[in-house]
Amino acid sequence: MSVSKQTNFKAAVSGMVAAVGLAAMLASGSAGAQAPAAAPSAAPAAPAVKGDAAAGAKKNSMCIGCHGIENYKTAFPVLYRVPKITGQNQAYFVAALQAYKSGERSHPSMQAISGSLTEQDMADLAAFYAQSK
Amino acid sequence: MAKITFISAVAAALLMTAGVAQAGNVAAGKEKSAACAACHGVDGVKGLDETYPILAGQHADYLERALSDYKSGKRKNAIMAGMAAALSKEDIADLSAYYASLSGPLKSSKRR
Repeated sequence: MSVSKQTNFKAAVSGMVAAVGLAAMLASGSAGAQAPAAAPSAAPAAPAVKGDAAAGAKKNSMCIGCHGIENYKTAFPVLYRVPKITGQNQAYFVAALQAYKSGERSHPSMQAISGSLTEQDMADLAAFYAQSK
Repeated sequence: MAKITFISAVAAALLMTAGVAQAGNVAAGKEKSAACAACHGVDGVKGLDETYPILAGQHADYLERALSDYKSGKRKNAIMAGMAAALSKEDIADLSAYYASLSGPLKSSKRR
């Protein structure tokens, strides 16, 4: 891929990320206003949500912009190739997304994207990517 | 001769675009991999369970980044922090080169 093409892609991706982040903020804002004291049901150690690979296949548009391109590199904070995720273990996949969402693991794009994902989304994506082994 | 010069130039260019990635030594990495194999599997594919990532065939520069971040504390994992703390920069490069050289199920994802 030429440098300029990759730059265009990056711009598109960051635009998308910004949009996603905004949508997530709006969503969380309205949810907070409507249900200030949602019942503290907090099912302790909730059993893992079951992933649906077919559903995951419809949710990966945000993934392929980087992970779908052979040898695509992330430029922040340092230059390295984004990991291959197709075929990765399902449980690790979910754990990685959760760690990005919680901020435990940091990468600007991945934190923004994972912030917009529900537990179900994560499980579905993990099922989809693990299945493509 | 001209061909060799050209190939070296291409190789050098590739190394430079790889950025931080220093070319690790696959054989040296294999020798250092016993501690990794305990959890990630001897083949880097079949680990203790599915919470451990598959390492075989992963990009070397991504693996280097992961190990460096575990070592620095930027990426947090109780087990990996302890493992990475003991590794030198060279160890990290060697191990990353070794696991990248193994074949496994990992691929860059396709649309479907």
